[in-house]
This record gives sequence, C-alpha cells and structure tokens, in this order.
Amino acid sequence: MRQVLRRPAIALSALVLVFALAVALAAPWLPLPDPTAMAASPYEPPGAAHWLGTDNFGRDILSRLVWGTRLALMVAIVSSLISSLLGIVLGSLSGYFGGWIDGIASRAFDVFLLIPTFFLVLLIVALFGSGIQYTMVAIALTTWPRSARIMRSQVLTLKSRTYVQAALSAGASHPWVLARHIVPNGLAPIVTDGTILMGLAILTEAGLSFLGLGDQNATSWGRMIFEGQRHLRLAPWMSIFPGLALLILVAALNLLGDGLNQALNPQLQRQSLRAKRREPVDRPSPQAAAAPILEVRDLRMEYRLEAATIRAVDGVSFALPAGGSLGIVGESGCGKSSMGAALLQVMAPNAAITGGDVVFAGRPILSEGHPVRIDGQEAIRTIRWTRLSTIFQSAINALNPVMTVQQQLVEAYLLHRPEAGRTAALARIGELFDVIGIPRRRMASYPHELSGGMRQRVMIALSLLHEPELVIADEPTTALDVLIQDQILGEIDELRRRLGLALILITHDMGIVAETCERVAVMYAGEIVELAPVERIFERPGHPYTQALIASLPTVSGPRRVLSALPGEPFVPTGTIAGCRFAPRCRMAADICRETVPPRVITGEGHEVLCHFAEASR
Amino acid sequence: MRLRRYVLLRVLQFVPVTLVVIVLNFLLIHLAPGDISLLLAGENADPAYLALVREKFGLDKPFLEQLWRYLVQVASGDLGLSFRSRQPVLGEILEKVPATLLLVGTSLLLSVAIGTWVGTWIARRPGSTLDSAVSFGAVALFSVPVFWFGLMLILLFTVEIPILPAMGMTSLDGPRSGIGYVLDIARHMVLPVAALMTVSVGQYVRLARTSVADVLGEHFITTVRAIGFPERTVLQHYALRNALLPVVTVLGLQLGLVLTGAVLTETVFSWPGLGRMIYEAILARDTPVIMGAFIVMSLTVALASLVTDLVYAALDPRVAL
Repeated sequence: MRQVLRRPAIALSALVLVFALAVALAAPWLPLPDPTAMAASPYEPPGAAHWLGTDNFGRDILSRLVWGTRLALMVAIVSSLISSLLGIVLGSLSGYFGGWIDGIASRAFDVFLLIPTFFLVLLIVALFGSGIQYTMVAIALTTWPRSARIMRSQVLTLKSRTYVQAALSAGASHPWVLARHIVPNGLAPIVTDGTILMGLAILTEAGLSFLGLGDQNATSWGRMIFEGQRHLRLAPWMSIFPGLALLILVAALNLLGDGLNQALNPQLQRQSLRAKRREPVDRPSPQAAAAPILEVRDLRMEYRLEAATIRAVDGVSFALPAGGSLGIVGESGCGKSSMGAALLQVMAPNAAITGGDVVFAGRPILSEGHPVRIDGQEAIRTIRWTRLSTIFQSAINALNPVMTVQQQLVEAYLLHRPEAGRTAALARIGELFDVIGIPRRRMASYPHELSGGMRQRVMIALSLLHEPELVIADEPTTALDVLIQDQILGEIDELRRRLGLALILITHDMGIVAETCERVAVMYAGEIVELAPVERIFERPGHPYTQALIASLPTVSGPRRVLSALPGEPFVPTGTIAGCRFAPRCRMAADICRETVPPRVITGEGHEVLCHFAEASR
Repeated sequence: MRLRRYVLLRVLQFVPVTLVVIVLNFLLIHLAPGDISLLLAGENADPAYLALVREKFGLDKPFLEQLWRYLVQVASGDLGLSFRSRQPVLGEILEKVPATLLLVGTSLLLSVAIGTWVGTWIARRPGSTLDSAVSFGAVALFSVPVFWFGLMLILLFTVEIPILPAMGMTSLDGPRSGIGYVLDIARHMVLPVAALMTVSVGQYVRLARTSVADVLGEHFITTVRAIGFPERTVLQHYALRNALLPVVTVLGLQLGLVLTGAVLTETVFSWPGLGRMIYEAILARDTPVIMGAFIVMSLTVALASLVTDLVYAALDPRVAL
C-alpha cells in the first residue's frame, strides 16, 4: 500500500479525491450561501465577496460548485457500484460454470459492450424523464459488460487454483466457493476499472445535463456549463469553473485507475527501469589483424532492478582463436546469455556494460567498458552481423511474426550490401536454404507457419547471411525436441568446420558441449569458474561446480541425477561479495571459502580453475 | 475459401447485435411511462395521425405481434416518422450523415496520426520524465469534457482573439462553390475538430506508446537491432508496423465514444450533423428520431467493430484464416 502511494500520480489523485469527498460531505456545514438562492447581483465577476463570481440569477458559483461535487460523486459511486455488482455476478457465474452458459453469456457481454452508452442513456432519459436515478441506472446498464468480462477472465484463471480445488473436494458448495474463495481474489482489476468507470459516469451525466436532459432540480456541473454557454461572452466564469472541476475530478479518477493498473501489473513497471550506458570512446583504426578472433578481458555487465543491481557478468576473460569453438556452460541465471549479449552490445534497457575490453580480430570494440568508435563509427556496428553474428534462442520470438522469412532475410542482406540488389539477395538466401536443408519454396512462409526446427534453421541462415567469422549461438536448440536438437547441432558443427568459422556456444547442457566444442568455460554467478579443453574437463574437472554439472549428465547405465548432484539456489551476485560464490552449495566448502575470494589457479595446459582447493600444475 | 468463411461468420455475428438493439428499443418504449402512441406521434398530434400510428405499430395487437411488426419495420429500413417534420426518420438521418462523417472522420484521422506519432516518440524511452509528462497529459486529455473544451476554444479563438468561426459549417455570405467553399468549410472545421479530438487523441497516444514499447521489448527487435538496422528503421519500419495492429482494433471500439463526443461538439458549434439533429429532437421530445438515432448509432458502432476485425484479420498473418 505504501509503495502504491509513493507513485506521485496515485498520491496526487488520491489527494484530489479525498478532498472532493470531504467537500461533498461537508457541503451543508460550509459557510457558503445557499446554492439556489438568487441573493447576489447577477453576472458578478470573481472577487472578494464571491470568489468564483455569480451566475445570471445571482447565485454564488463556488457554492454551486461545492454542491455539484455531491451530485458528481453520487452519480460516480452509485452507477459504478450497480454496474460492478451486475458485472461481478454475471461475469463470475459465466466464468465459473463455463460450458453453454459461458458461451451465451460471453456473447451477450460482447453484444452489450457494442451498444454506445451515451445514446442508450439519451433514449432512456428521453423516454422516462430526466430524473437523476434514471441516469444512474442507464449508465450502469450499459457499462456492466466491462466488469463482467474482467470478472469472467479472473474467475477462469482462479477456479483451477489448488486452494479452490481443495475447498471443493472438502465438500464446500459452489456458491460458497465462488463467494468465499474466488470472487474476493479476483476483485483487484474490477476496482481499478471501477475508478475509470466512475470518470465515465461523471462525464456522461455532465454531457446529459449539458444537453438539457439532466435532473432539473439538482445542482450539476454539466447543467452549470449548459447555463453558462448562453452567457459565454458576458460571464465566461459561469462555464470555466464547473468545467475545470469536471476536468480535475475525472482526471484524478483516470490517473488513479491508471496508476493502480500499473502498480498491480509488474510487467508495465519493469519497462521503466533503464541503466545508464557508457559513452563511446574514439580509437585509431588498427593496422593488422591479430591472431585470436576474439579476446575478452575482465568484461562486466550489470542489470538494474528495483531493489538491487545484479552483476550478471562479473569479470570474465577468455580468448578464442580463429576457427575455434568455445562452449559456455552454466545454470540459467549464471550470466552466460548476458555475456553473449554484452559481446554483441545488444542488451535489455536495464542492462549496461560497466567494464572490460573486447578485441575482435585485432579491432577493439570495447575499451574499459566504453564502446569503441573508430573513424566516427561505433566499431561494433562495423562488424556485427557481417563478421560477428548470433543465433538467438527461441527463433519464434527472434523472427518478426508479421513478415515472411524471405522479406526478413532480404532486408537483412540488403542492409549491409545495398549495392547487391534483390536478385543477388534472393540467390544468396536460396543458397543458404540449401545449406541448412529447408526447401526453397518455404522462403515465402511466415515464421508461425514453420516447424520449430525449421524456424531455428532460418535463424541459423540469418546468422550466416554475410559469412561471419564468429557466431555466438545462444541456446540454439533449447526449445526443440531431442532428435531435432541433435540434428541441428550436428549441422552447426559441420558448417563451422566447412566454413572455418569460430563458434561460441552458450548452453546449460554439458553433453552438447562435449559433442560440439573444443574448449569449455563453466560460468557460475557471473564468473568463469573453470576454463579448459573439452577432453580435460570431462577427465579431470577441477571445480566442484563443474563436477556437479558433469555428475548430473545422464549416463548410459543409470538414470538422470540432476537434483542429487546440486542442491540449493544459484548465487545472485550483488553488493560486495566476500569468499567463494559457490561456497553455500559446495560439498567441499571450508572456512576459507566463506572468507576469502578464491584465486584463479592454473592446473594444467590451458586449464584454469577458480577454487581454493584446485591444485596448481608444477 | 477459408477467408470467405471467416468473413461470412463474422458478418453473421452482426445479426444478434442488431436484434438486441431493436428489441431493447422496443422494450424501452413499452416500459416508458405514458401512452405509447403519444410517444410515437407526439403530444400535439391530431387524432387522425394518432390513429395512423396506432394502426402502423399494431398497438391494439398482442405484445409479441407488436414486437414482430416492429422488427419487420426496422429491418426494412422504416424507422418511423419524425413528428415534427412528418418525414421518414431514416431519410432525415441519412441527410445529416455527411456533415457528421466529415467531422468525425477528420478528427479520428488526425487523432490516429498525431497520437501514433507522439506515442511512438515517447515509447523509445519508457519511464523517462518526458514519457511521464506526456502520459499524464494524455490522461488529462481524455478527462476533458468535450463540450466544455469546445466552449473554451470559442472563448479563446472567437471571443478573445476573433480569428476562427464558431458557428455552423459555412459562412452565411461565403462562396458556394469551388476552392473558396472548401476553404470556408475547413475554417469552420478547425475548432470543432480540435474539440472532438480530445476524446480520442489521448487514447491513441497511450495506446501507441504501450503498443510500441511492448513491441520494442520483443526478441525480434533485438534481432533487427543486432543485424544493424539504424534505430530509426527499427522504430518506424519494424516496431510501428507491428504495433499498429492494436491501434487498428481500438479504432472500432473507440467509435462509440467519438460519436458521443460528436453529438456534444455539434451542439456547441451548431454543426449541422446528426448530433445537432439529436439535440433538436431532444428539445422537441421527438421520440422517433431519438430512437432512430440510437439504432443507427449502435449499428454504426457494431459495423465499425466488424470492419476492424476484418481489417485486423487481413493485416495480421497470424490470424488463422
């Protein structure tokens, strides 16, 4: 609650509403003239005696405004209450009982939702007379499908919850379960929508009064504007102030509904977090290409969250020779995908690179955490996708759903080779489709028309479009079934050897790495805890975490042993960290592990381990 | 073939809406206090006309037969006679449609264009001060009572700084043909269109903002950014294209509110359209016209929803046809 009030928009609008409510309740006791008394002289402009002036009959406008608040709030509360109650009852019955009841009811909601509120209200008031009670009922009668639809979907999700099922199997009756367990838990969005409904009701009543169809005996803001309209030139204050009051009250209601909606919907909140990115730095153009295709030194990347900053990549260093392959392994959340994103410099808005150097084929692309600019252009832009590309995980999301595969590939091709022309682009794509084994006629398909395996192949084709020297494959097969997985990994491996490209394969599966990579980097809590040639890591794993990962692999003889190998939750790197990050889950952990940061120990040829107990090679 | 089936199915869904609207209309007249024939013929109707109306609606027949008669009447386009002019209501309504269409169409087009542009602009930096300010302004905009805003515009641009006309669609002594006529109407349109836009422009700003921000968070945007498309292309070519789909959908749902706004706006500016006609009918208690307007407005909204659904289906390849 306190967190909700901390949002300025919510706090402000709540304040306005409390004030309006107080004014409305206190109206009879406030030292104001009778709102209907024609006591003062007419058309008096705002001044000391009448703060907001008087109208054509000499009535005090401030007093009428205050009494108008009562009417506005009454209309808002009564009509949205009736509307919400109707909606809650019909919506929850429809959602709870489902079947043909739901079929008919939800069709009815849709139909009634299409009837324009104002015109029905107009008709009802024209036929029945302009009593305020008709107005309120009419507003409720046309707005209830809103709440009904919300309630229905709430009930649909809530009714399968465990506690509901438990209550039912314990013998509780349907009405009891619905009233006690389901409806109360589904009310939040109804309340949110209720505030917006209240605003709508106030505006509808005001509009009606403005047309002269309001309650003749009531003091309504809409009616005040209706009367003020005729005296607009002579006494503009007659219409200015009631309109302002309407605007402020309705805006407060809408802002409250909006703010509550955002506060209740964490997904909308997360978008707003942004990390500050570092400015690019200029570097001269390098002379010759050096030996390693990629050199990474002390790379650091952080995510800014509401409560903390997470150091997802926390000082990672490695080098990859041209044509080499490196597997990066770890549990989800260890920072492996973040590292891939940091290398490509494509990150979520709340992520930022905070340190480290990256050199691609002798060309610096990141310097002390700053993107490098060479000859006025960001270095990463000159190599990304033409020399360094990536295969994203879950191709269904990584491809644009409303464009055909061919359109996307052609545009990506022409972006970097605008002079080539469409025919050349199509030829190249056809060639790639042959390589990855998709019939050329499928080029014109939309992503959703392809199977998961085919989509992943399209993603691979996209990454190979410009014959890159290094491909970063981020879980390229996770979403696929095992057979297709093997097939695609085999293809990637084969392509790599044939085209002589270097590969960084990011995966959680040690088995995949064993088949595809020459070297392995094991990541834990943002750090590389072990880096070694693939044969060596399976023969002599140096880090207890690596040992656990290998132990969790399925073997030919025995069943999978994931849980037995590694209990506990992954470490989240935030704040200052003393000791070894793996210590809480480590079976070998001693006092030193909890107190001192472990050293990086070289245990053999190209083999380093981040552990107090690793034995250095002599 | 499947497309044709979808269109047919969706068009058939139009029928229950029509039925509900007509039946609702019928029930309301019967529930209303007072003599139905007086409601339909007007309080000052002469006995001969009253008898004619009684005969036409079968008011001495059983309830269900009356309902059936009414359904058949409305279905054949007979919305009764206005008791002021004794002219068919449908004809009177159709006569006013062009003026309202001009007002509503222009303001909707401008709202969508401006709203989408502003929304897309602020979507690039969700959570920034600019975003908060514009979002706040957007909410304030659709909280403005449109009729009051119209009056304020008149106060400002006709009374204080007299540069724009505030009444009607044409000047009394203005040209009646050619480019001068068009310009005259355009000048008269400025204020009402601006007033009517408050109903929808804020909604489109917010909608475009949320929609574009959502799309910008999707993986395929990361892909096109990684491929190296300039940010401008990412925003305008990829994000906006995908984000426009929800904007299209809401266009249909919004129409009810916009038509409401049109009635109020036309009243303020004496615009010779449907809204003005409804207002005058209310003043004269001309029930057949109000009923006819209700039917026509409801069916227009339902039709708009139908059209947007079909457009959506045509635009989004994911809608399985």
